[in-house]
Amino acid sequence: MAEVRAPVGGKVAQIHVTAGARVAEDDELLLMESMKMEIPIHAPSAGTVGEVRVSLGATVQPGEVLLTLA
Amino acid sequence: MTSSTANGWEPELEELQQRRALMLRMGGEDRIARQHSQGKLTVRERIDRLAGSGSFREFMSLAGSGTYDEQGRLTDFSPRASVDGILKLDGRKVVVSAGDFTSRGGSGGGGHGGMGQELPSNRRALEWRLPYVRLLDAAGGSVRSFEEIGRTYLPDGNAGSAWDVKLLRAVPVVSAVLGSVAGLPAVNACLAHFNVMVRGTAQLFPGGPPVVKQALGYDITKEDLGGAHIHGTISGVVDNVVETEDEAFATIRRFLSYLPSSVWEMAPRCEPDDDPERREERLAAIIPRNRRRTYDAHRVINAVVDRGSFFEIAPEYGQARITGLARLNGYPTGIMANNALFGGSTDVAGGEKVMRLIQLCDTFHLPMVSLADEPGFNVGLEQEKKGIERAGARLVTVTNDSQMPWITVVMKQVYGVAGQCQQRPSGMYRRYAWPSAEWGSMHIAGGAAAAYRREIAEAPDPEAKLREVEARLQAIASPFRTAEATGQDIIDPRDTRPLLCEFIEEAQPILRSQLGPTAMPYRP
Repeated sequence: MAEVRAPVGGKVAQIHVTAGARVAEDDELLLMESMKMEIPIHAPSAGTVGEVRVSLGATVQPGEVLLTLA
Repeated sequence: MTSSTANGWEPELEELQQRRALMLRMGGEDRIARQHSQGKLTVRERIDRLAGSGSFREFMSLAGSGTYDEQGRLTDFSPRASVDGILKLDGRKVVVSAGDFTSRGGSGGGGHGGMGQELPSNRRALEWRLPYVRLLDAAGGSVRSFEEIGRTYLPDGNAGSAWDVKLLRAVPVVSAVLGSVAGLPAVNACLAHFNVMVRGTAQLFPGGPPVVKQALGYDITKEDLGGAHIHGTISGVVDNVVETEDEAFATIRRFLSYLPSSVWEMAPRCEPDDDPERREERLAAIIPRNRRRTYDAHRVINAVVDRGSFFEIAPEYGQARITGLARLNGYPTGIMANNALFGGSTDVAGGEKVMRLIQLCDTFHLPMVSLADEPGFNVGLEQEKKGIERAGARLVTVTNDSQMPWITVVMKQVYGVAGQCQQRPSGMYRRYAWPSAEWGSMHIAGGAAAAYRREIAEAPDPEAKLREVEARLQAIASPFRTAEATGQDIIDPRDTRPLLCEFIEEAQPILRSQLGPTAMPYRP
């Protein structure tokens, strides 16, 4: 199981996937916002989304797990 | 057992067995139990885990302090606080020097000095031309040794450190911080090309909490003073932080896998398992057109290097720059990138990382790949306090003093003096640019207001005038205009990997001709 973490602190602006979704490597999973910039979060590998650990609008810390990929 | 063949030497052979058994007890059961209860392995367990199934040829294993009865027979023995030898890591030999915290807290002393001393492990690594690995778990000098020798001594540790300094120009040196490490061992943690530290069980400082209390009068825990959160993220004293000792050993093996055994050899090429001609479709769109969107340069690195071959150095420190090692068509290479996620602008911390990577590549004859998106040196009061100009001068110096083949791919921005450090005017240097590239001695936004100040101020509508000047400048900022005049090659980003692999192949004969110690000394 891979954990997809927030590279920087910021706000969760969009969530493109739900638990159980099949994703390909490099698919955009979420969009974060930090310092007025949009930061797309991509799948590090192909797999199935296990658990989405954040909700829309949540503020996350750098390194926080956003979702898991199995 | 040997009675029929030893021909009268049985007592001596038995004594050898007895001494070996006593040496393996280390500091005794109680101290070993304490070591384990702190979540740490003993020095001998560490060497076994590091070597895996490999061999370990120990030297100086009989050194220590013996006690004797009236007849001069050995009654007890304490080994010295270090285990040294040559072991094989993934098929290649390295010299290991490992502190034994259970024996005198890993502290020196106990040695007797004088004539006839065996070669210490650092000099052996130098003469054998083998990588040197320190497993540090030692507190440095102790005032207890004053009582043992009945005097104090001048701190002439440089007699030994001089060899550690020479090592940096000869063989790869790695330090692992595996306990509370203070004094000279703490400095030895950084007299290395790479170091690693275990979170929670390892700390690093010249003097620990009691020394801080004495000098500055405040209480602080070991972890708060010199734990992994300080050194991996804030001070940059430690490159990579890991969670377990086994992970530290795996990290050491991985780092060394990219490097030759010494500066007199070429770095080992591994059987390539990835197509050098692979064109990565996603690179065409990886730079966002929308300027509000950013991107993670790790994605670019992972797309162009041999799959899974990127090893990042100091990932938590100076994050505006990414530095590490990778393979291209099996050939080891240094690789660095500006990371737009953290602004990408080189600051003092990011610049330090870059200088160390350039020196590493120069010393061990690895080519350098740079993926550039440099907005210019970081500005602001924080960076002024840290001395960004002197850091910049050092980066310019190290860049120009380096000799290894170097290729830069301009992904997006190259501005200012930090951008200047993406180019080297001497030796084998190549540059490609993506169509998304933009460059200059300064940004148009901001630069226009300064350079056309009078014109703008005197215009009837200064706002409109500024926009007009900026539009005029933007129109000539296309990288194709530069290419027309200078011949700069602009490429389809999808061709990046094939072109990098081609360059790295062409670099091999140049690297071979540069073998041996280089003109630029490695500064840790």
